[in-house]
Amino acid sequence: MLLFSRQGKLRLQKWYTATAERDKKKMVRELMQIVLARKPKMCSFLEWRDLKIVYKRYASLYFCCAIEEQDNELITLEVIHRFVELLDKYFGSVCELDIIFNFEKAYFILDEFLMGGEIQDTSKKSVLKAIEQADLLQEEDESPRSVLEEMGLA
Amino acid sequence: MSDVVEKTLTALPGLLSLDSQPGSNKLSSSSKLGNLIRGITELTSKHEEEKLIQRELTSIKEQVSSPNTSMRQMKELMVRAIYCEMLGYEASFSYIHAIKLAQQGTAREKRVGYLAVSLFLNESHELLLLLVNTVLKDLQSTNLIEVCMALTVVGQIFPKDMIPAILPLVEEKLNHPKEIIRRKAVLALYKFYLIAPNQVQHIHNKFRKALCDKDPGVMTASLHIYLQLIEENPEGYKDLTTSFVTILKQVVGGKLPMDFNYHSVPAPWLQIQLLRILCLLGKNDQSTSEIMYEVLDESLRRAEINHNITYAILFECVKCIYTIHPKSELLEKAAKCIGNFVLSPKINLKYLGLKALTYVVQQDPKLALQHQMTIIECLDHPDLIIKRETLELLFRITNAQNVTVIVDKMLEFLRINKDDYTTIDLRMERKL
Repeated sequence: MLLFSRQGKLRLQKWYTATAERDKKKMVRELMQIVLARKPKMCSFLEWRDLKIVYKRYASLYFCCAIEEQDNELITLEVIHRFVELLDKYFGSVCELDIIFNFEKAYFILDEFLMGGEIQDTSKKSVLKAIEQADLLQEEDESPRSVLEEMGLA
Repeated sequence: MSDVVEKTLTALPGLLSLDSQPGSNKLSSSSKLGNLIRGITELTSKHEEEKLIQRELTSIKEQVSSPNTSMRQMKELMVRAIYCEMLGYEASFSYIHAIKLAQQGTAREKRVGYLAVSLFLNESHELLLLLVNTVLKDLQSTNLIEVCMALTVVGQIFPKDMIPAILPLVEEKLNHPKEIIRRKAVLALYKFYLIAPNQVQHIHNKFRKALCDKDPGVMTASLHIYLQLIEENPEGYKDLTTSFVTILKQVVGGKLPMDFNYHSVPAPWLQIQLLRILCLLGKNDQSTSEIMYEVLDESLRRAEINHNITYAILFECVKCIYTIHPKSELLEKAAKCIGNFVLSPKINLKYLGLKALTYVVQQDPKLALQHQMTIIECLDHPDLIIKRETLELLFRITNAQNVTVIVDKMLEFLRINKDDYTTIDLRMERKL
């Protein structure tokens, strides 16, 4: 899963297969070139090497996913959409700047929702709740203990 | 459960008094990461960007190696290192510190440490072994958030040889009272199965328990494992067909809690996983296929709403119907579906329709011929991808009757488009 801007700046990258660093960079460059060259009305699916690429543009950000031969393209589009919805709910009307400045939070959400490359299909509420619970932990020791105790988790 | 939620809600305003919203920017605008990012966006040339990043990396390197850096500062430094790596610059000096951060930090710092580790390292990296101890410790922690984090990282990246050490701990989490832990444990086991199938053989009956779990999230997670297992050995799981059919019936009938709905479609990813599993189970097997006809019919009927996700479910349904033992009414309905896709003005659906036609052309050549004219029109479509798909399809549907028309059209197409479709054309000639 890659996120990049219209100018070709990478905002987020998550790899679900083991790939060498150099190959990763090459792939990212190639993919960005191909996707950025697509015109707006074109199909959201491409074939590239032995994978299928599904991409969608939201405002100035491109969300791009590579899937295997047997996977369903439309469902991947919806995976992307669901991720955007989660980001939107979490940041409250998300924009590219939110993702840029808080990219580690975007990663946390992505990890909660897609583990090992497979969607967990949990309800939107439980994904966001898990992130929020982890967020509530402050650096000071007193607060986290009491919140966790109150929530019955510790 | 509800009074816990109440207590959390009352505690929230106090904890979040620094923030206006849960997700808003915790880093103040004068933070180092903010400055770095702003700095990068202001630069115009790659050369300047390189210089800035190198400076940044040197400064980060100094700070991470200094013994005076607190964990809190380390967290910030890690985030900046992740950012630099994302832009393509190497920051391998920070890997070991990421592991240290995961080990020694408090929960928030641990989280960033684990994230950094999952982004920096890959499965064969030697530093990964150092992570194992930390993960083992966290899995046994009483703090559930730490357990969650450990399971998440295990599900993403873990050295194959250390699986025996961690397997019993993960297994016992399968019986944990909290469903989020059970779910993550199942996914971690799935990952283990993918990288080392023989290590996980003995706990297949635990997967069955997960399949019957009362929490739909855990059940969905177990489906990933089942899909993999069934792909490799469909015969061994035919007895589970009725269970899968029952689950799908319940989902399609709307029996799941409301928040599994995605745009008023109940748990679509779950439906698709089940459809894929049923597809594999029913292939070339009449008796198993007969069990599924009813639920497939139901799914087709329910997925009538006009949203991308229902089209995705329909597509999967159609694929399933064509793969399993045929039944004429279902085939008819599926054929109608494909027809709708191909005729649709929405470009993504057209693409899928063409793909589906290519798939079914062996079993039902008449269907493709019905839509022959639309297909030929697709050759003129401005999108290259559609053109390519159309050519592929045309190649498959040519027969003695329509060959002249099709070849004429293709030659015309080639004259206008100087591309290397000559290979496909050559294949056609050979067929003739």
